[in-house]
Amino acid sequence: MGFFRELLGGHRDRGSSQVAKQRLMMVLVGDRYRLTPDQVDQMKHEMAELLSRYLPNINADQIEVSLLRDDENERLHAQIPLRRSQQGER
Amino acid sequence: MARVITITSGKGGVGKTTTTANLGTALAMRGSRVAVVDADIGLRNLDVVMGLENRIVYDLVDVVEGRARLRQALIKDKRLPELCLLPAAQTRDKDAVSPEQMVELLDQLRNDFDFILIDSPAGIEGGFRNAIAGADEVIIVTTPEVSAVRDADRIVGLVEAAEKGTPRLVVNRIKPRLVSRGDMLSVDDVLELLAIELIGVVPDDENIITSTNRGEAVVYDQGSIAGKSFLHIAQRLNGEEVPFIILSDQPGMFERLFSMFGRRRS
Repeated sequence: MGFFRELLGGHRDRGSSQVAKQRLMMVLVGDRYRLTPDQVDQMKHEMAELLSRYLPNINADQIEVSLLRDDENERLHAQIPLRRSQQGER
Repeated sequence: MARVITITSGKGGVGKTTTTANLGTALAMRGSRVAVVDADIGLRNLDVVMGLENRIVYDLVDVVEGRARLRQALIKDKRLPELCLLPAAQTRDKDAVSPEQMVELLDQLRNDFDFILIDSPAGIEGGFRNAIAGADEVIIVTTPEVSAVRDADRIVGLVEAAEKGTPRLVVNRIKPRLVSRGDMLSVDDVLELLAIELIGVVPDDENIITSTNRGEAVVYDQGSIAGKSFLHIAQRLNGEEVPFIILSDQPGMFERLFSMFGRRRS
């Protein structure tokens, strides 16, 4: 679903219903898990900090966090891009 | 033994009372013995929506406090002898009844009915807690608006926390034209957000207003799309498989699809 990501994209060209849906997705995460967008950001930075102890070149700004849902459960899904240390910076 | 089903929403004004009245009427039309209970103490409305406001002698609080027996407080419907209303008190507040007293009251009612439908007050406080205390199942009514969906989500959490199972959803007042224009949340959008099972979709329909004005259930109006939709929900409650009406924004399409599904019944 990637709504944290979708939130960053503009939604000016779409109907207002999609704006409503995206806003609701964020609001419901906040309501259900008591998590604000700032806290999500902070979570990413702390994840990057932790993972950096084991892996090279972890960048908090590249981490994408989203909520996935199947019939029974909701899962937090984090995408963390990895780069081999030999390749150095882009 | 009756199935006790609470109709709730979180947000006010989304159609809980209309849904309760129409599902109660539809179930009774189909031969079930039904009691509808107004749990909105202090703000009673189920009686006027059903056109029974002039027949009230005793109410729910009178029964709980021992001033009247249950039999005396139950009001028979105008048309359907198997449909009864237990009205809320108008002069008291929500604290007049406890969840335990509600459970006890429902236990008294259970043996005489097939369905007991409880019209919950809006909100998540005492009145709501009373309304779900004795429920076997919960139906959540929402409209495709951000505030109503948000509140519905809160209610889903509270119902699950109260171990009443996963509630089922009625999406009320959907406007197909707005949905197809992309300016109203679709039923699919709402389902994706709330992630609970759908039991009915009720399109926005002026017939609701005119029938409520008269104190009649819209399910009597076989030609109205809202009436048909409520009837379908009642059938689903009875375990029948009824396809969901596909809503179209093209005038005329409604009626066609509608009569197609309508034929199945009789």
